Parts: sequence; structure tokens; C-alpha cells
Amino acid sequence: MSKQDHTPHLPRRKRSGRLSLAMMGASAFGLTACGQPPQEEQITDIEFDQPRSFQSVEDCVAENVYTRSACEDAYEASLKEVPRFSTLEECEAENGEGACTAPTDEQSQAATGSTGGSWFMPAMMGYMVGSMMSNTNRGRSFERVYQEPVYRNRQNQGNWNTASNQATQRVTQRNDAMRSSVAQNRQAASQRRGFGSRSSARGGWGS
Amino acid sequence: MLRIDIPERSNWKALAHELGFHFHTIDGEPYWKEDAYYQFTMEQVERDIEAPTEAVHEMCMELVDKVCHSNALMQRLALPEHMWDSIHNSWKSGQPHLYGRMDFAYSGDGPAKLLELNYDTPTSLYEAGFFQWVWLEQAIAQGILPRHADQYNSIQEHLINAMAHLGDRIEARTLYFSCIKDNAEERATVHYLQDVAVQAGLKAPFIYTEDIGLHPGADHFVDLDNQPIHALFKLYPWEEMADDAFGEYIPQLNTHWFEPPWKAILSNKGILPLLWEHFEGHPNLLPAFFENASSPPLPAGWVRKPFFSREGSNIELITPAGQREAVDGPYTDSPWIRQAYHPMPRFGNNHALIGSWVVGDRACGMGIREDVGRITKDSSCFVPHAIV
Repeated sequence: MSKQDHTPHLPRRKRSGRLSLAMMGASAFGLTACGQPPQEEQITDIEFDQPRSFQSVEDCVAENVYTRSACEDAYEASLKEVPRFSTLEECEAENGEGACTAPTDEQSQAATGSTGGSWFMPAMMGYMVGSMMSNTNRGRSFERVYQEPVYRNRQNQGNWNTASNQATQRVTQRNDAMRSSVAQNRQAASQRRGFGSRSSARGGWGS
Repeated sequence: MLRIDIPERSNWKALAHELGFHFHTIDGEPYWKEDAYYQFTMEQVERDIEAPTEAVHEMCMELVDKVCHSNALMQRLALPEHMWDSIHNSWKSGQPHLYGRMDFAYSGDGPAKLLELNYDTPTSLYEAGFFQWVWLEQAIAQGILPRHADQYNSIQEHLINAMAHLGDRIEARTLYFSCIKDNAEERATVHYLQDVAVQAGLKAPFIYTEDIGLHPGADHFVDLDNQPIHALFKLYPWEEMADDAFGEYIPQLNTHWFEPPWKAILSNKGILPLLWEHFEGHPNLLPAFFENASSPPLPAGWVRKPFFSREGSNIELITPAGQREAVDGPYTDSPWIRQAYHPMPRFGNNHALIGSWVVGDRACGMGIREDVGRITKDSSCFVPHAIV
């Protein structure tokens, strides 16, 4: 029992003293509380364009397809994907004699974020850049650049054309894998209308 | 208990519009009526409505416990077997419930008689809990009612407390709210509950019942962004849920439902004969029995109701004088019960029905519906009440 019931000068009351609405009324009732959860986006579809290969950032800029900063970002990002080895021997065993080199300070900075550390990599001959268009379940489309290093190895023996073909193949394989994973996601899309699809007697279920 | 004609508030339709009560008129017919009110004494409210409501609620809780521990009783209530574990577990783990409404026949003297329980998808909540309260305050302010007039109504206050209680127990204090598409009244009722939830500090996103998703590998039902729904309020009955395409997944997934599955026991008119069986002779209960193949045709003085029915559908009654009344409907595939006929009080052409609200486990308010017929339907009008 609340205190009120025992306070002689206050009449006993069976109703609440104060009520308000937080969001249901017109704007005159002021408060709006939008109870929507953060909207999370999911990618439902990806399209790739044909990648282009460049031998240097300057080469990329000169093609006049991407901005300088896109060319530079793609170069740095592709450096991160170059295989790294702790000894020259290991690197040459994998990529062929004379194919490997120690990174320059600039390359090391781009690949690992520091100039320190001694490691080896196949010599970079250039990189590839393409763009990727993603569509989401919210109907939004956005474009992203993707990239791939072109480096010297046993298979291409330092031949630029072969090297860039191999890079194209790797890109195609990776893109196929992404496509199929998106497709798989799409297949695993949620089922709906599993509740409430039958109609009620009077169009409602309250009682 | 009296029905007293009074003037309407001059501004009420504009106010209703402003306060989100767009269904005060349904299909051109009035639903909210305030050219009269039902007048009660404090004693009538406390002794005849409030106390019996709490008593019957306790009996119901006792029965839920019995049914949860008996497959035979589950079967008797025609509860689908794939739901038994969910029902039992939701009760055993103490899953809280939000609310319920008991419908009583009461004329002002003698005990109120329980006609049925609406313990799963009760509506007329906004009208009873909010708009009726606003009516009283304004009717007093405008001199339509005396200053000492009161109302049996702390419904919203109790709802906020109950929501806060739920909020402390659910993931991220987030309770989704759902109802079916294309029903303005139900959407408004759910909107009101969202409002109450927000006032209780919960996050209260909305999803249509039809949009609730089933996602491969997910261990909850999902929303339109495929995010897990940890807790979900539904204005959609358990007996339908269980039979729906996703029904079989309910026991497998971790989504918490409000009302919880154990409410399926009380939203079923089979509870009425069980109550009579266990508490026979209780002053607030009417004799009730399960119908079976050897039951004779419905005799005078009895009412026939399907286990599952809404808004008066498929109810048939014969008064002691032999007058037959029936409402058609689609609910013909469930078993039936029979209940002794008890007249609702008649005021002019109107039969009045008391809807007595329980929130959490407390009786906390009422709303009156009236109908020219003896069976209260979705078209029955809501008329406010006051204690004077």
C-alpha cells in the first residue's frame, strides 16, 4: 500500500496522478523517440570491371583513369599483398633465382608500417587496379578500388606481360570467390511470411 | 453501477487525432462514445472488480503450473505437441508476462462472473489505459464531472513498471514490437505499447509479423536487416503462431516472446472448464464444461464457445427464456466448451461488459464495452467509467 492511502488529508485515488505519451501523439506532445535500431547494411551483389596493370604510380596517373591518390593508395595496398620471406634463399626457392630483393624503405613502410625488419620479396614489376561496384540490401551502391601486385617470379621470369597476365588470373580467381560468397549469402537470405500470413476472421487478432 | 448521460467534451475528436487515437470511429461507426459514462462506487470497484480479478488471476497462475506439468492437460487444451516444451520451459524459467484482461458480467450487485480471459492478445488497452484517463481529467476540468470523481485506472503506470522489469531482463534493453499488416487499430495498440516501453527506458523497434525472418544458421528470428531479435512482443495469438510455417522453429530458436508461450494456456477457452473443475463453486466463476461427442444439443441457459476465437466469433447462446443468439465466424476447427449463461446488465439497449486489466500480476484498471447484442464483438463501443 502506498503512503498516500494512509495520509488522511489526501483522498484515496484509484487512478494514476500523471500520464504522458512519449512518441505516439502529434508533435505538440514534443518528445520523439525513434526506436529504430542502427541500420546495418549487407552486400547483396558485386560487379568487377576489367583491371588495368601499371608499372608505376606515375604510369597509373598518366593513364588518367584514377586520381593520383587512388593510384598511390592502390600501390601501397598492393605492396601489402606481395609475399614476404625472412631470407633471400627462401624467397628465391619460391620465386626463382634472381627474382628477389630486399624492400626499399618506402616499400617496407607501405607493406608493414615500419622501415625496420629485414625481409625479402619478389621484385615488384608493377600493380593492377580495378574497381568493384557493390550493391546492398538497402538499395545503395558504392564503388571501391581493388588492387593486386605484379611481381617477378619463376613463372614469368621477369616478363611484364606474363606477370600481368598472372596477376589478372589471380584477380579473376579472387573475384569469382567473392562473387560466389555473395551469391551464397543471397541463397541463405532469410525467409519471411512464416508468421501471420493467414488472414483472421475480422482482419485482426486482438481480443 | 449506473449509465449516466453527460455532455461530450467539445474538443475530443481533435484531441483524439492529436493523441494518435485515430480509430475512435471505425468504418463510420462510433467506437469511442462519451455521451454517457458508467458510474461505480469505490466499494463496487474494490470489492467486486479489483479483488476478484486478483483472486481469479492467482487461480489462473495455479492452473498454468498444473497444465505445464501435465501432458494430459496440454492435450486436453488442444495445445500443439511441438509447443509443449516451450510452454513448460517458459513457465519453469519464470518468463515474465506483461498483461491480460478478464471479461466480467457484473451489474453492480452480486459477484462479477468471469466470462472469459484475454490473456494473450488483449486489446482496447490504449482506450482504457490512456484515453479514458485523459477523458476523466478533462471532464473534471470542464465541469462535466464533479471534482471528487475518480477512475479505476493505473494501467499505464503499471505497464511502464512492467516494461522496466522486462527491460532489465532482455538483451540490450531492446524489445521488438509486432503486429500484422493492414490493421490500423492493432498497429495503434502496438504503437501505444512501444510508447510505454520507450517511457520505461527500452528500445522499441517495430516489425510486422509477416516480416519476421528465419535465417539459416541464426539462433534467433531476425529482423529486416537479418539482425537477431532477442525479444519480441507480438499482438498475434499463440495458437496461430504454432500452426504457422515458422511455428516449428519457435522451440529451436532463442527469441523471447511476449506474451511468453505459457500464455497459450490462458488464451484458450478450455481454461474455463478447468477453472471450474479445480475451483468449483467459486463466486466469480460460472459452471463450464468441455463439450464432447455425446453432449446433447445446446440447452437453454447455456453458451457455446470454441477454444480459440476472437472478438465474439463463433459464439452461440440460448437464454433461459429460450432466445437464441449467435455470431458467425471461422473458428470451427477447434474443440468447444459450454458455459452457464449469465446475463450482462442492460442499460437501455446496451449490454455492458467489464474488461478488468491485470498488468504483471496486479489488477489495475478497467474499461467498459457495450453492445446492443448479448455477445460483445469488435464493433462494440468503448464507454468510459468514473468512480463518483
